[in-house]
Amino acid sequence: MAASALLQLQGVSRRLAGRTIVKDLTLSLDRGCVLGLLGVNGAGKSTTLRMIAGVLAPSAGKVLFDGRDLGEEPALARRLGYLPETPPLYAELRVDEYLAFCALLRGMHTADARKAVDRVIERCGLGEVRRRLCGNLSKGFAQRAGIAQAIVHDPDLIVLDEPASGLDPVQAASIRKLVSELGRERAVILSTHLLHDVTACCARVAILHRGRLRHDGALADLGGNDVEGESLEKAFFRIASADDAQAAA
Amino acid sequence: MSRVVARNEWRRLFAQPLAWVLLAATLAVLAYFFLLTLQGFLGLSPKLAGMPSPPGVTDLVALPLMRAIASVLLLVAPLLGMRAIAGERQSGTLPLLQSSGTGSAGIVFGKFAALCGFFIVLIALALAMPASLAVGTQLDWGRLATGALGLILFAAALTAIAIAASSFTRQAVVAAIAALAIGLVLWMLDAGARYEGVSSSFINYLALPTHLEPFLRGIVATVDIVYFALIVAVALTLAARRLDAERERG
Repeated sequence: MAASALLQLQGVSRRLAGRTIVKDLTLSLDRGCVLGLLGVNGAGKSTTLRMIAGVLAPSAGKVLFDGRDLGEEPALARRLGYLPETPPLYAELRVDEYLAFCALLRGMHTADARKAVDRVIERCGLGEVRRRLCGNLSKGFAQRAGIAQAIVHDPDLIVLDEPASGLDPVQAASIRKLVSELGRERAVILSTHLLHDVTACCARVAILHRGRLRHDGALADLGGNDVEGESLEKAFFRIASADDAQAAA
Repeated sequence: MSRVVARNEWRRLFAQPLAWVLLAATLAVLAYFFLLTLQGFLGLSPKLAGMPSPPGVTDLVALPLMRAIASVLLLVAPLLGMRAIAGERQSGTLPLLQSSGTGSAGIVFGKFAALCGFFIVLIALALAMPASLAVGTQLDWGRLATGALGLILFAAALTAIAIAASSFTRQAVVAAIAALAIGLVLWMLDAGARYEGVSSSFINYLALPTHLEPFLRGIVATVDIVYFALIVAVALTLAARRLDAERERG
């Protein structure tokens, strides 16, 4: 299974400004799976996702996409969609213009891009703002436009950095629903520090703490007869607080 | 994909006030300058009529105007190019380009092409002023054409420098100041040497006016084209390398 996985991280480490942010991370992900990357702030989630998206090169180890190294074949990046922490919107473009640019940028043809933009606008519920400037969008619409940008070119792998951050509960719920839908035919990896995000839409959960992978498994495997959310919470707090106690000692 | 980046850059350029304001202000200043030189020429023309082979309107109006365009470009190119990459960094859109598989060279070249397009428009509009004199007099079209070519190459070199400066910072203003300083240094590099009467040493070769002036006088020399092409190549390579380094250094 390991050889054929869509995304593989092999012993990936990353140092930034002399500090080790991610250490020896090994992970693999296949189509049809939503992986939640869970961790407290500063655990290395964003850095991990930036490496997967090819924005940051690992200091050690490899990120393999379909068995091929993203660092050596940057064109592979067209097959993934990435939503950074802040949605990368051009304030002076209209939403439909912006999405068309994103589609073309990933190598789509003009006619296909137009159809893809219409599809993604409907899918992400951007219909009423499609002719509005990206700079004038509310936080919720901006976040949705950011997700639309990541999926407009129909990528195999979708990398979302805190897709539900700053949204109200209704918007967050609709985004979670969208993510679970996307995860049916594609591979999705999303980072969050909200346990509810994970329980609502992820089949698998990886817990990152201080740059190390502390847990990786199906959500259902997380212990006992507890309700899922509750056991996840226990595991998460155990991992997060055990280390803090260790560090203090 | 750098074509897509270029087209997007072009569209964004004209969706924002900066390019329009620069275009309008530049053309207004140049138009005023043009009218002044034209008036001077008209005042001189009775005297010129008595000369055996008098300098024409191309020498007395178009040439000074082209020199004025060059001086204006020295200032406008850094202002227009300052946001090329620094602005993307500031607004958080750089990851979009970096994760698109376009590659640093493609990103940098796309932006360069779009900005060059702007300067071609600016130079064409500015040169339409002396060209309009064709209604009433004989113009040396060849010299206007070589002058336009020279100015475009000059603008391209300054734009490339501005993009390189922009790739090193997050603050657009810092990039503009750095690009302006580099442009001015290259412009005045041989001023001291010329003051001492040296006009064909290595330091003269490095200076921008040495290579622009022949174009304005109607001479297209390979060495001058190579000089501008080299500046563009070095500056854009530097910018692309800087973007690549960002992946490594973070």
